[in-house]
Amino acid sequence: MDGGQQGRMTAGNETFPQALSVADLRLDPRRRRREWAIHRLFMAAAVLSVVISAAIVVSLVGNALSFAVKVDPAALWTDGWFPRRGLYDIRTLVAGTLIIAGVAMLIAAPLGIGAAIYLSEYAKPRTRGVLKPALEILAAIPSVVLGFFALTWISPNLIQRISGAPLFNMAAAGVAVGILIMPLIASVAEDAMHAVPAYLREASFGLGARKRTTSLRVVVPAAISGIVAALIVGISRAIGETMIVAIAAGATGGSLFELNPFRPGQTMTAAMTSLAIGSDSVRGAALTFESLFFVGFLLFVVTLGLNLVSDSFVRRVRERY
Amino acid sequence: MASIGRPQPVSTAELVELRLRGATLDWRGHLLQGMLLTSLLLALAVLAILLGDIVLRAIPVFTERPIEFLTGQLSARPQRAGISQGVIGSVLLMGFVIVLALPLGIGAAVYLEEYAHDTRMTRFIGTNIRNLAGVPAIVFGLLGLAAFVTLLRLGNTLVAGGLTLAVLVLPIIVITTSEALRAVPTSIREAALAVGATRWEMVRSHVLPYAAPGIMTGSILSLARAFGETAPLLLVGAVAGTFSSSGNPLGQLFGSYTALPTVVYNFARESKAEFRALTAATIVVLLIVILLVNATAIVLRNRYDRKW
Amino acid sequence: MALGLVTSLLLAACGANAGSSPSASRASGGDAAPVSGKLTISGSSTVEPITSIVAEDFKAANPGVDYKVDGPGTGDGFALFCKGETDISDASRKIKDEEAAACKAAGINYVELKVGIDGISVITAQGNSAVTCLSFLDLYALLGPESKGFKKWSDANSLAAELAGSVDKATYGESHAPYPDASLDVTAPGEESGTFDTFVEFVITKLGTERKIDKPTTRPDYTASADDNVIIEGIAGSPSSLGWVGFAFADENKDKVTLLQVDGGKGCVAPDAETIASGEYPMSRPLFIYVNTDKMKTNPAIKVFVDYYLSDTGIASVTEADYIALKSDGLEKTRAAWTAASRGG
Repeated sequence: MDGGQQGRMTAGNETFPQALSVADLRLDPRRRRREWAIHRLFMAAAVLSVVISAAIVVSLVGNALSFAVKVDPAALWTDGWFPRRGLYDIRTLVAGTLIIAGVAMLIAAPLGIGAAIYLSEYAKPRTRGVLKPALEILAAIPSVVLGFFALTWISPNLIQRISGAPLFNMAAAGVAVGILIMPLIASVAEDAMHAVPAYLREASFGLGARKRTTSLRVVVPAAISGIVAALIVGISRAIGETMIVAIAAGATGGSLFELNPFRPGQTMTAAMTSLAIGSDSVRGAALTFESLFFVGFLLFVVTLGLNLVSDSFVRRVRERY
Repeated sequence: MASIGRPQPVSTAELVELRLRGATLDWRGHLLQGMLLTSLLLALAVLAILLGDIVLRAIPVFTERPIEFLTGQLSARPQRAGISQGVIGSVLLMGFVIVLALPLGIGAAVYLEEYAHDTRMTRFIGTNIRNLAGVPAIVFGLLGLAAFVTLLRLGNTLVAGGLTLAVLVLPIIVITTSEALRAVPTSIREAALAVGATRWEMVRSHVLPYAAPGIMTGSILSLARAFGETAPLLLVGAVAGTFSSSGNPLGQLFGSYTALPTVVYNFARESKAEFRALTAATIVVLLIVILLVNATAIVLRNRYDRKW
Repeated sequence: MALGLVTSLLLAACGANAGSSPSASRASGGDAAPVSGKLTISGSSTVEPITSIVAEDFKAANPGVDYKVDGPGTGDGFALFCKGETDISDASRKIKDEEAAACKAAGINYVELKVGIDGISVITAQGNSAVTCLSFLDLYALLGPESKGFKKWSDANSLAAELAGSVDKATYGESHAPYPDASLDVTAPGEESGTFDTFVEFVITKLGTERKIDKPTTRPDYTASADDNVIIEGIAGSPSSLGWVGFAFADENKDKVTLLQVDGGKGCVAPDAETIASGEYPMSRPLFIYVNTDKMKTNPAIKVFVDYYLSDTGIASVTEADYIALKSDGLEKTRAAWTAASRGG
């Protein structure tokens, strides 16, 4: 042990140890310097995250503002999103995004919450040990793979069978996005239900309630904040999903305002992809490049808002228990 | 419902309930249980169909020309097309993520969990990181386009792509590392401090070794996620056509590049029917890597998961 | 006049230098020592498959060459080309005046080389028997600038009648109105595509200018895509659809779409290899590559590459990619233009 050498205890002598001074408690300078350096190093790493956020906002806002300022307001409310023609109907993109997110939630919410309730309340540990990893495998599938699956299997075998839709349509993309987010919803909801303390369940059983009553009338309401958070996280992820829509929803160059899910459509994310794939210096009406950043900024703001809301729900759950 | 079988009472509650009610069948309860199980199984069925369909489509490629497919380069001719450039690109990109995002992410998490006091600034950084984790990947692509490709003049090179992916994965690594650190009991830390260790010595010798499995699992899962990312790479200029570079792999860092997921995307857009099988085969390779990595992480987690 | 004499003498001298033996060696593919360098080629997604094959084969003989070929669209390709960012630009249409001006302003010198022919096919769904032939007049009435908002084919009837009464049948063909009372679902290329520009040039521009429309182009309200798959599937997915796409793609997907006959003033002609090559089919369009001649001087790979492209082995890629080869006189003209540009005569 380093440190001051001043407090010496000598056995058998009359020398009493001197009182410890502050200098004793200080480390030797070399250790202290190293400690300081490491502290600062780690702090820099943490501050970097703030820098990144700032960088995102700055990189988006500059071009987005430039677009908002220069664009002719009439061009923002037209028949469709045709950026290379100078027609920037944001409604088209918002409608497409909401339709696909809507179809996705229609699929993912019941499946996800149902799976979560089953895993949390009904599954025996051995079943859980098999089914949960299987769900994690589903969660690991990249979205580009699901996009290909939507185009080659979901659309011809499911969507086109029940409607006369063309191969590229929003419904198929929506179903695939639903498959993508279902494990996420299940995972967050299950965590919330798992966190419900055992005594609540036991109290319910103690009063004579059945299993299903306990699950549905006690556990789910107790975990409702977490379940809502799960749904919001799901919506946020669905809105931000790019590759599935870019591959399977069609309308990659320009889209009419479309509310029918069985037709091709365009979302904010897919619009950004097709603008950027063209080339960096995208030709067409002068504002086409800036529109890319404007849509990106819109997307960032929307998902940020949703994430903040879901965060507050999750914190509420944590606080209570 | 018959397939589920007669339920064995598992809790006192159920046993008592059975005695009280007599052995009448609670059909509504079983219906509910069945429905819930069905929702889980439905999702898994979709997974099975997806894997099965893709593997079936990919089989012709692997039986007819497996080596050429894995070692060949992108080509407009489907019978010659191969994914070697995608594989190399993905590996190099992962290198960037490992070298940049892991140390920075772990460092930031260590700071937030071990060093920082609970001030407004710290909470702000924490909220900030959680928000970043929820930002869609394509927005990181825009950041990469504006900052790395344009501002830093890196152009459409692998360096820009690697930086973009590293930035994307950073918040996730911070969050998973934080959780792993938080799981280490305070008593461990106090034991180190009591014998006079400095904070760094405590972290290094007491906290990190115990948190290491959790940190590793989280990092590996984040890597697997980055491996499958497509949208940001498309925005920062991974090649959407064919290309061929000669010379050393290091040259690839500053030249044209692609990655496995972008190869999937490009093949998926080709009009020739033969490219469907190629897309499926590339997906098989991509999935094998991702699932192997995930499996490693899960095995690690199960083996080293300590119950305090 | 003396100046003219001197110039023509000089040109003749340059031409003579490029005469006999080089074209013989070009015809056989050349036997130059392997070259190295970098080639950046972008532009038309239609020409991309051809150039890609040529580049791949070229690299097999010249391993020291790095290349990159992609196809964001003819227009995007020219934007990059006229900024000096690409060496060669693929194009499924001639360069526009404003693009040529942009190149000139940036000091980019280039040579235009025709390498093949493709047709533009007007398509509708398989099984749509209500239409078999459409003239330029019909196409203008259904897809032109004055057709915005037409949701059904029959909405265009009045416009077609008006046009039929006022325009020259020999230029725009006969009207095939009245059109069926069915939903008009249009899926077609978007503005970044050379296929789009060529369609506008054939069908819209002349008639639109005659109708005193400023900068005539197609109606904006349809599903646009740069992806030919999306177009084919969009057409196949709706029973009364309408669109246009390169002939090679349409021909490949004959089981999903019907290729309509087109009347360009000389009666209805069905698209196939012969009618497109001969020009009988009114919408046959040439495929080009544009080569940056300044870069050619500093980058030896470019010259050798284009030599290979225009050789017999190289140019066979056009047919390999399912397009239509130039006739021999067309090919000779291209080769001569290249020789003149590359020898710096």
